[in-house]
Amino acid sequence: MKNWFHKSLAENSKKNALAFLYFLAPFFLLFLAWEAASRLQLINPILFPPPTKVFPRLGILLFSETTAGQSVLLTHVYYSLYRLLLGFVGGAFVGVFLGILMGMNKYVHAYFNPIVSLLMPVPGITWAPILILWLGFGDSTIIPVILIAAFFPIVYNTIAGVKSISKELIWASQTMGANKKTIFWKVLLPGSAAYIFNGLKLGLAHCWRTLIAVEMLAASLWGLGYMIFDAREYLQTDVIYAGIIVLGAVFLAIEKTIVRFAEKRTVEKWGVLAEI
Amino acid sequence: MCSLKSERITEQIKIEARLARLQKVKRGATRVFFFALPFLSIVITLELLATLGVINPRLFPPPSKIFLTSLTLASRQVGGVSILLIHVCSSFIRIVVGFSLAALSGIFIGTLMGTNKIIYRLLNPIITFIMPIPTFAWVPILLIWTGIGDRTIIITIFLSALFAIIYNTSLGVRSINKQLIWAAQTMGSNRLTMFLKVLLPGAMVSMITGLRLGLGYSWRALVAAEMLAAAAWGLGYMVFAARAFMAVDVMFVGLFLIMIMGYIMENGIMGSIQRVTIERWGMTRET
Repeated sequence: MKNWFHKSLAENSKKNALAFLYFLAPFFLLFLAWEAASRLQLINPILFPPPTKVFPRLGILLFSETTAGQSVLLTHVYYSLYRLLLGFVGGAFVGVFLGILMGMNKYVHAYFNPIVSLLMPVPGITWAPILILWLGFGDSTIIPVILIAAFFPIVYNTIAGVKSISKELIWASQTMGANKKTIFWKVLLPGSAAYIFNGLKLGLAHCWRTLIAVEMLAASLWGLGYMIFDAREYLQTDVIYAGIIVLGAVFLAIEKTIVRFAEKRTVEKWGVLAEI
Repeated sequence: MCSLKSERITEQIKIEARLARLQKVKRGATRVFFFALPFLSIVITLELLATLGVINPRLFPPPSKIFLTSLTLASRQVGGVSILLIHVCSSFIRIVVGFSLAALSGIFIGTLMGTNKIIYRLLNPIITFIMPIPTFAWVPILLIWTGIGDRTIIITIFLSALFAIIYNTSLGVRSINKQLIWAAQTMGSNRLTMFLKVLLPGAMVSMITGLRLGLGYSWRALVAAEMLAAAAWGLGYMVFAARAFMAVDVMFVGLFLIMIMGYIMENGIMGSIQRVTIERWGMTRET
């Protein structure tokens, strides 16, 4: 038994390693072709610096220190993530709260639905210039803008989720003497969890995209978007590519670890993972 | 006698029809009223607050002023065409060009990835990695490469829509039952027939999802790219340029135009595409 287990584990890890290799191989090929084309001047080496220049630049960014003694790259990442967290959490709270209210109450729905459905297709970034005038540069604009970007998909999906709960469930819990709080925590929230989760995922993606754009427009000094946009002024294309690689890696890490973990702990545990 | 009776019946029918029509109008009117109510209440509150001097009218212009500004902007002309119209049209042209390029190449690459295993293995990891990168990250490079102007904006729109379309198309094609493809092959269909009659309808649901997502992304990318890279025209440029003059009313006019255009695009265009393709073929997913 034990032997079989070890064998299957070894086989599994072998399979995983192979899958990982298959995942990495195309990047390797791409980098090789890129390197050759860039070195042979087939493509402009300033616009497309060879990977052997980009990766060392990544290392330099990582290990060079700010005046506070922190790594430059990590400080940029830290500021971006901090803004992402604040904006997303704010948007999620407002979105889920309003969404549940709108899903439960006819009048609230009638009042807010026209506003939400008309404002939803407005890209969050549109608010950036207006908010810059109202609130000034820096975090005071960036965080509200990504809050707006997160809010709309979350509220939309939450409404759909609450509406998808059958009335009988609510009636049943009411007849069994559940008060409003219990109904909220035990019926409405788990019942609409699959939709809410979908909305949160979408909202996070919107947040992330908007964050980089708004950092280019309104950031002062720190943030990945600012780093990339600032590098343009000095024609440091290797910094731009290093930033792009970091952007991809950071969000992939967020999706594969935090989102996956949250999914396992909530939606999958409650067994309500809908195929939406 | 008989004619009298039939006359009365027709009269009755007429009255009923008129009543029904009236009720329909009434129902429509109440719906419009309830749709407009929240906006009316917001407009009135803002107007009151601005006239009472509670909020700074320069930073929070009253709705009446925004309306007047929109009229002035609409009537001001460059080369015989209204300024607002030029802004709207240049944004529209950019998104049409960028998105159709992305749709064509996305569906092509996606179908290739779905049918060919080697291409799938090569491209899938790269797309998985590139997809979560915000498209605006490419804007600085594009600015160096193609400069400020239409080309940069259109490439940004193209890139932002491309990956969602590729991903969902290849997903759709890969999910097609293999037996269908074999059956078509044994019955001697060539590549074109296979693509048009088997792969395209089979992958349609997923493909439309991709197109929808892609349109949403490219719409967002359009506004942001116009802020960063437009030379003179476009809704994003209009909003961003107004910041330099602290013209908040102009910004709001731009915001409303973006709102209307986005609403038409997301609900009108994508909705009708969905209706004529998926729903006609009876393949709507129940969500």
